Order: sequence, then structure tokens, then C-alpha cells
Amino acid sequence: MLEVNDLRVAYGAIEVVHGITLNVQAGECVALVGANGAGKSSTLKAICGLIPAKSGRISLEGRDITNASGHAIVKAGITMCPEGRQVFPQMSVLQNLAMGAYARRDAEQASDIDEMMDMFPILRDRAGQAAGTLSGGEQEMLAIARALMARPRLCIFDEPSLGLAPKIVAEVGATIDRIKKMGKTILLVEQNAAMALRLADRAYLFEAGEIVLTGTGAELQKHPEVAKAYLGH
Amino acid sequence: MIEILQQIVNGVAIGGVYVLIALGLTTVFGILGIAHFAHGSVSMFGGYLTFFLVSGMGFPLLLAILVALLTGLVIGMAIEFLAYRPVRNANHINAFIVALGLTMMVEGLNLEFFGHEQVVIPTDLGRVFNIGGVTLPELRLYVILAAALLILAMTIFVEKTKTGQAIRAVAENRDAAILMGVNVNTIPLVVFAISTALGVCAGVMVGSLFAIAPGIGEGLVVKGFAVLILGGLGSIPGAVVGGLVLGITEALAAGFISSAYKDVIAFVVMITVLLVRPQGLMGKA
Repeated sequence: MLEVNDLRVAYGAIEVVHGITLNVQAGECVALVGANGAGKSSTLKAICGLIPAKSGRISLEGRDITNASGHAIVKAGITMCPEGRQVFPQMSVLQNLAMGAYARRDAEQASDIDEMMDMFPILRDRAGQAAGTLSGGEQEMLAIARALMARPRLCIFDEPSLGLAPKIVAEVGATIDRIKKMGKTILLVEQNAAMALRLADRAYLFEAGEIVLTGTGAELQKHPEVAKAYLGH
Repeated sequence: MIEILQQIVNGVAIGGVYVLIALGLTTVFGILGIAHFAHGSVSMFGGYLTFFLVSGMGFPLLLAILVALLTGLVIGMAIEFLAYRPVRNANHINAFIVALGLTMMVEGLNLEFFGHEQVVIPTDLGRVFNIGGVTLPELRLYVILAAALLILAMTIFVEKTKTGQAIRAVAENRDAAILMGVNVNTIPLVVFAISTALGVCAGVMVGSLFAIAPGIGEGLVVKGFAVLILGGLGSIPGAVVGGLVLGITEALAAGFISSAYKDVIAFVVMITVLLVRPQGLMGKA
């Protein structure tokens, strides 16, 4: 479904992603793991059109989307649930959810909002409240629900567990597992490698802007270097 | 008591004009971070144009206002596209310089097209109502009603329409708005079009209530920014509350203390508010 070929990303003269190639098949959950600054988030931002690709090709279902503008990529079917949640703080929970469906023109948005509130009951309780007043965990749930409101073909999660309490991290993991079981295609970036590898069908290990290892989630979990450097075994 | 009510009514009328100016400034600031100084002069252009259409071309007043409004929409988009878009990703000082240059250009054009004489938009709204001792000229009543209607329309637009919500979203978190599929190239065009149209309405109100002359627009934009700071930068409710507070304070100061010092007193109130609430009346701390 998503094909990334020899992608390079640079900030000014400094290249941070050095020609990576990866793919995500329909219905798969693929994780990108690696240390801080390894180039995972830059890769995602290039896929979503938030920063330009220096070279390489990104395509979704065969359609070239390299350096397309961000809103066109959303229309093409990719939605990202960004790092740090990035909810609209002064808008209500309901308005945030409605914004998630901004690119849609169908009449089922209201029933989708209802569905999201069934999935995350806390959002129903907080519907009229400004999103900025929610706790970190609640905001993460809102960000996930908002991303799903777009009915994306590929849903990208960027560091969904970052800065959350352990109990909430587990909840986020369970939520992504549920979304996976709904049949959604997922690209997940996580510093919490243990959680990411448990959830993922396949994973890519990033180091200093390159992919150094790839395999199924289970394979990577057992790989001695991964276990030592990222899982703390 | 009647006298106080009278001054409050007067203040609401001028406050309504401030609100319309500030609404444009606050949405532009909220979404682009630009201090759009030329807004006052462009608004006065709208007032001048209405005057010209009525006095020079014999248009009926409402038709003239409509033409001026549509012209305002187009001018707003042109300003965004031609003046501010090229410096969008540059250092903020560049947009600041563009704004100052634009102010001088528009003031110059106003002078060139409409001369240096002060003009008053003629209306045949001469009746004067008396409500419980408070005198309310018909024109002033219509200005208050029109301002209220425009503020209501703007609020409904921002809160209830998809485009309005996108404007808020871009103001609150630009990157997240892109991820929702908002086209951040078209939103500024919409914002400038609407802001300028609101400004044109304010220009027409100034031109019919008082008079338009060179320099009035610049004075008005200073008041507009004062309202913005008073109400809270980027806040629409803040612009409404701030504009009314400034208008009413000015009117009360003019009525009871000294009309020569009304601006001083209004700004003293503003400074006092900011000492207590630095984020503005409706701003978020």
C-alpha cells in the first residue's frame, strides 16, 4: 500500500534520513523503532508532506505522493496522529473530532463521531470541554479518535506513548491493537520498542538515519542486539 | 443616570466600529502572526468608495455598500496574495515592513483618488428616536444593529462552518490543521477577504457617523490594535469585549471629563487592565 523508495530528508544542508526504503502492506501494522534522532519522525513528516523529501519516491497504492502538499496527502488517504498529541486546545472535544473529518464530504460524519465516543467513552463525557483542559492520556485518546475520523486508508501514529504514565501507555497499546483488529493499516513510530514490537507484524530498526535491521516484530524482539540496546534485556 | 445611559449608547456605536476593525486584525494576527497595519487605510478606502459611488455616481446607499463590500473581498485577497504571501516564510520583520509600506501606499492612493477634503457619506436617515430620555439618532441605531449582526454572523461562521473551524484550527495549531487536510494556502485568502470586508463595513460606518479624511484610517488601526491587546491577541470574543470597553470608556470620558482627553483616558484604562491582566480580558494566560 505504502512504498517508500530511497528517501532522503534534509534540514537545510544537514541530511538526517539517508536513503531509506520501506513498505507497508494493506492490513499490516508496521513499526519503526530506534533511538531518539534516528530519523523516524523525519521520515513520517516527509510521508505526510509536512517537510519536503530531498530525493526518493513515496507512493500510496501506486500513486506518487512525493512532495505533494499536506492536505492532498490527507485526501489521498494518509492520516497522522502526531507526536505530542497536537489537539486544538481551545476547541471543544467535539469540534476536534469534527476537524478530523475535515477532508470528508460524506454524510456519515455525525455517526462516526458517535462511534468514536463509544470507543472512547471519556470523550463523550468531555464532549463540550476545551481539549486543552484534558489530561495527557485523554488528549492522546482524542488525537487517536480525531485521526480515525478521517477514515484513513493508512493511519500513522507518531510516538503515541511519549510522556504518558505507564498505565496509560498500556491503554494506548491496547487501543492500537483494537484499531489493528478493525483491519486498519498502521504505521507506528515508537521509542517504547517493547510495545511497538509486540504490536507490529513487521518492524524496521532505524539507526542514524538508516534502516539497519528489518523483520517481523517477533524476530526483532528476539534479535540479540535489539534486545540489548532497545529492550533492556 | 440618563446622561450615563446616553454616553453608553454613544460608546456602543463607536465601540461597534472598533470591534469590526479589531475582528479583522485579530483573525489575521491569529492565523498568520501578522500585524496588518494597512487594515485601517484599506477600511477607509471602502468608506471613500461608498461615498464616491453615492455622491459621484448616484448609486443608492445599500447598492454602494454592497459594491464596496465585494471590492473589499477582492482587495483583501489581493493583499494577502501579492503583499504578504511572498514573505510568509521569511523573518517576521519582513511582513512588518510590508505592512508599513502597504499602509503608506494605500493612504497615498486614497489621497490620489479621493483628495484631501474630509467626506461624509450622505444618508437620509435623519430621524431621532427618544427612548426613555436617551436620544438615539436613526443612523446610530442602524450602525449598532449592523455591527451586532456582523459580529453575530462572524461568530456563527467561525463556530459552525467547516471553513470557520479550519480557520480556528490553523490559528491554534498549523501543523495539526494540515494533518486534518486543511489547505493552508487558501485559508489566509479567506481570512483576508472576510477581514477586509468587515473593515469596509467599519469604514462606511465611520464615513456616515463622522467623516473620512486622510489619517483617520491610521488612527483607527491604532485603536484596533489597542482593542486586540485589551481583549487578548487572536481572540474573537476578546475583540468584541475589548472594542465595546474602549468605545464606552471613550464616550464616558468625553461626556464627563473632557473630550480632548478622551483618547488619553481610554488608553489609561487599557494600561490599567493590562497591569492586572497582562494576557488581556479574554486572553488565555
